[in-house]
Amino acid sequence: MFKRKRSAEDFAEEIKAHLALEADDLRAEGQSEEEAQRRARVEFGNAALAKEKFRLRGRWQALDKFAGNLRFGIRSLLKSPGFALTAILTVALGVGANTAVFSVMNAVLLKSLPVADPQTLVNFRTSDAPRNTGTVDTNETMSYPVYDALRKQTGAISSLIAFVPLSNSKVAVRVGSQAEEAEGDMVSGTFFSGLGVDLPLGRGFTSEDEANHAPLVVLSYNYWTRRFARNPGILGQTFYVNSVPMTIIGISAPGFEGLEGGGSTDFWIPLQNRRELNAWGNPVEEGKLYITNPTWWCLRLIGRLPPGVNRTQAIAQLQPVFQSAARIGLGKPEQGEKPPILSFADAKNFPDQMYSNPLHILMAMVGLVLLIAFANVAMLLAARNAARQREFSVRQALGAGRGELFSQLLTESLLLVTAGGLLAWAFAVMAARLLANWAQIESSLAPDRTVLLFTMGVLVVAAVLFGLAPMRVALAGRAELALKTSAATSNADAGKSRTGRIIVALQMAMCVVLLVGAGLLIRTLSNLENTPLGMRIDGLVVFGVRPDIPSVPAGIAFYQNLMGKLRILPGVESVTIMEERIGSWWSDNSAMTVDGRLPEVTNGGSLTVRSNVAGPDFFTTLGVPILAGRDFADTDTAKTPRVGIINEEFAKRFLPNVNPLGHNIGSSDGRFTMSIVGVVKNHKYRSIDEAPIPMAWWMYAQIPVIGEMHVEMRVKGAPLAILPTAQKVVQQLDPNLPLIKPMTQRAQYDTTISSQIMFARLAEFFGLLAVVLVATGLYGTLSYRVNRRTAEIGVRMAMGAGRGQVVWMILRDSLRLTAIGVVAGVPLAMFIGRALTSSLYGVEPLDALTYALAIAGVTVVALVASAAPASRAASVNPLKALRTE
Amino acid sequence: MPTQENNDDRIALLQGTLDLLILKTLILGPCHGQGVARSIQRQSEEVLFVDHGSLYLALQRLEDKKLIQAKWGTSENNRKARFYSLTAKGRAELTEKSSQWKRLTRAMDLILEPQGEDA
Repeated sequence: MFKRKRSAEDFAEEIKAHLALEADDLRAEGQSEEEAQRRARVEFGNAALAKEKFRLRGRWQALDKFAGNLRFGIRSLLKSPGFALTAILTVALGVGANTAVFSVMNAVLLKSLPVADPQTLVNFRTSDAPRNTGTVDTNETMSYPVYDALRKQTGAISSLIAFVPLSNSKVAVRVGSQAEEAEGDMVSGTFFSGLGVDLPLGRGFTSEDEANHAPLVVLSYNYWTRRFARNPGILGQTFYVNSVPMTIIGISAPGFEGLEGGGSTDFWIPLQNRRELNAWGNPVEEGKLYITNPTWWCLRLIGRLPPGVNRTQAIAQLQPVFQSAARIGLGKPEQGEKPPILSFADAKNFPDQMYSNPLHILMAMVGLVLLIAFANVAMLLAARNAARQREFSVRQALGAGRGELFSQLLTESLLLVTAGGLLAWAFAVMAARLLANWAQIESSLAPDRTVLLFTMGVLVVAAVLFGLAPMRVALAGRAELALKTSAATSNADAGKSRTGRIIVALQMAMCVVLLVGAGLLIRTLSNLENTPLGMRIDGLVVFGVRPDIPSVPAGIAFYQNLMGKLRILPGVESVTIMEERIGSWWSDNSAMTVDGRLPEVTNGGSLTVRSNVAGPDFFTTLGVPILAGRDFADTDTAKTPRVGIINEEFAKRFLPNVNPLGHNIGSSDGRFTMSIVGVVKNHKYRSIDEAPIPMAWWMYAQIPVIGEMHVEMRVKGAPLAILPTAQKVVQQLDPNLPLIKPMTQRAQYDTTISSQIMFARLAEFFGLLAVVLVATGLYGTLSYRVNRRTAEIGVRMAMGAGRGQVVWMILRDSLRLTAIGVVAGVPLAMFIGRALTSSLYGVEPLDALTYALAIAGVTVVALVASAAPASRAASVNPLKALRTE
Repeated sequence: MPTQENNDDRIALLQGTLDLLILKTLILGPCHGQGVARSIQRQSEEVLFVDHGSLYLALQRLEDKKLIQAKWGTSENNRKARFYSLTAKGRAELTEKSSQWKRLTRAMDLILEPQGEDA
């Protein structure tokens, strides 16, 4: 029966009725009307107090009970500070690690784009772009003519947003006199309005701004905060982008850092039409910018579906428009070439998947750590409360209900969890920052509501678990047990210790998994760090320059001049330049002709050649051995015959069994060719973990395009010390030029394994954490068991058992648990190892050594954790032990 | 109670006895709160005095424990009043508590009476 709780009004009504009835009776007894009413009220006493008491009834009780439990809980935890501290720290480490990893995962993978209605946004995708086009991403970028045709369509898409970075790293900007670098995008006029991003200050762009290529800038809230300390006076000031003056007109909403995951855009400008501000910072190609070049598929497009239009309908309308626009300026399709097909992809979340795999594996690892940590605390609590069994029995005998015992245990676990949770949060905020630094994630990682909910969820589970775990033990001690004192009888409960042993064995299994994972990742890292790069990496320093280049000869002159000035600096051994910075993941990839035609490769091997544009003394500066022929030289100029250099792999694959020197190689369309003058030893180009691939180098002074270049210097002494002087030299040539991403070449290569470095370090840390937790857990369980078996051990010794036998008894126990853990853990570890395969380098997922070490590791942990309890057992004095009975 | 007149030799109820008295009163049939109070006072020959505020809280407590139930009705002189009646559980409780009480008073008597005789 569900009756509503009685209301206070109803109660007041009853009192009123009472007063009326009482007055009636008094009148009947002969009192006057007035006197009767007065007497009735007087007789009643304090009506207001009664009403108040009615209202508080129940509530007080609960609150009082809770406060009592709380006091009791704090008192009993303070009585065993060692236990409390261990439990709180364990919770803090386990939950903190999870919160940290989750908050990174949340920021990078899960968080929705901070825009209005992200679910109605779609990313435009294409099947392969038409042949003879250049793309940034084969399936994700489109040409300006395609954008232009699509945006003229109405109905299918309510607003079409185009955006493209100004550079693949950062561009030179300036406010006032100091040149610096920042990340910027060129965007369509629909960018802010179409995405629904607010501008707390100033305004966004309009279609007119886009049409006029207006020199306007919107800064990101983050950049405004970091660089301008949220100074509102910045609006209206001049902001130079690659020396082009622009006016700051707005600040974007806090939390909006652009549309790319893991990155953070500092500013946006409308789509421009001038050579200083070409898409991706590319140099002008045959007089064409991204706007006028239909073969340069470089724009990313995002559209918003209008209400009532689904994706299929929108695609149906846009497909023919897309396919005809895709051919603009490209002529007839080649034979057998299929038209590109437009499709949509979710734009709800950040598109970047680069961190996806590592983060999921990390999350699994910290999840295991959490399980071990929680199991530990639960066991600690169970052990502690088993020791309190007499207390519980007495309290039950005195009439405490199961509910009351439970609510008290729950309060205690709540206390532990709250303290642990607070500590975990502080720990997580720190750890997340550290993690982001390692992974070079620039988006803001401030924990948000999702993270808070996640942590709270974990903590609630913990609180209930920790409250329930000891309950079984507490209830097992029935009231009758209260008066029994014998250690032998009250500890004969085999069931609970079996649970404890199962938990320890499971922890061992998880520990094996974590150690195997950590071992594989650490071996991967050491393999990577010891991978020869094929050059003398120490003593190299690199930085980028992006001068304003009005013409190709002027560009060549600028770099010649720059290299000349840098070479004569004291301490500088040699200087060269390159278009793609080595060790930065970037490279030019295409097929190349050999002696006038595309080479034939057997077995369907790849035709791809990684090429780069390099300056004089390139290989000498890097320290890459030249196997045949010569390096580029200052004497190779626009007026001398074009020369090129290839690596061993190129020669082996495309010019086998001949002397490659003197052969001609060239671009895939055969328009530019060069004659091979040198063959160099294979070395790493894009990253540390790449396999040898055919490579070719053009001489920068001999090709018709020139733009941003990276300067490589070999210096004596500390490489970075040269940078201030180099900066001065650069600014003598142009005061607007910052050094772009200056660093040692080794640090640059290390960025290509940063995720492996982070991975290995974290795995190491979590592996260690697991080992410590498992060791404390095992130690706790064993010493608890030894304590309880003191009497039994005493009897055994009295019967003639030797110390060695007693020690062996304890050790055998933990070794058996270890064996079970290993047997259960190894298959699980093999499973995890398989999941890790793509993250491994130079080590098999079934690496025997790693498994052996992991097994040896847990065995050592087991033995170390058992040492103290075993020696305590061996020192049991049989007489004393039996006397306590 | 400060509101109580002083020329009064009534005894305030012992803690815990009020519940028993209410249950006993209600065995005679449904009654409202004021009736319960009057009935206790009258039956104890005006010796026992019931604080009305406590009475209603006690009634509420008994109701919460499902020993009694209540519904609004009309009194004999046509006033709206909340009538209480015993539940089966209440009856059982009354039987148990009154036998406990009798044992207690008998024990008290045994101790108090002989003492009086010895003196």
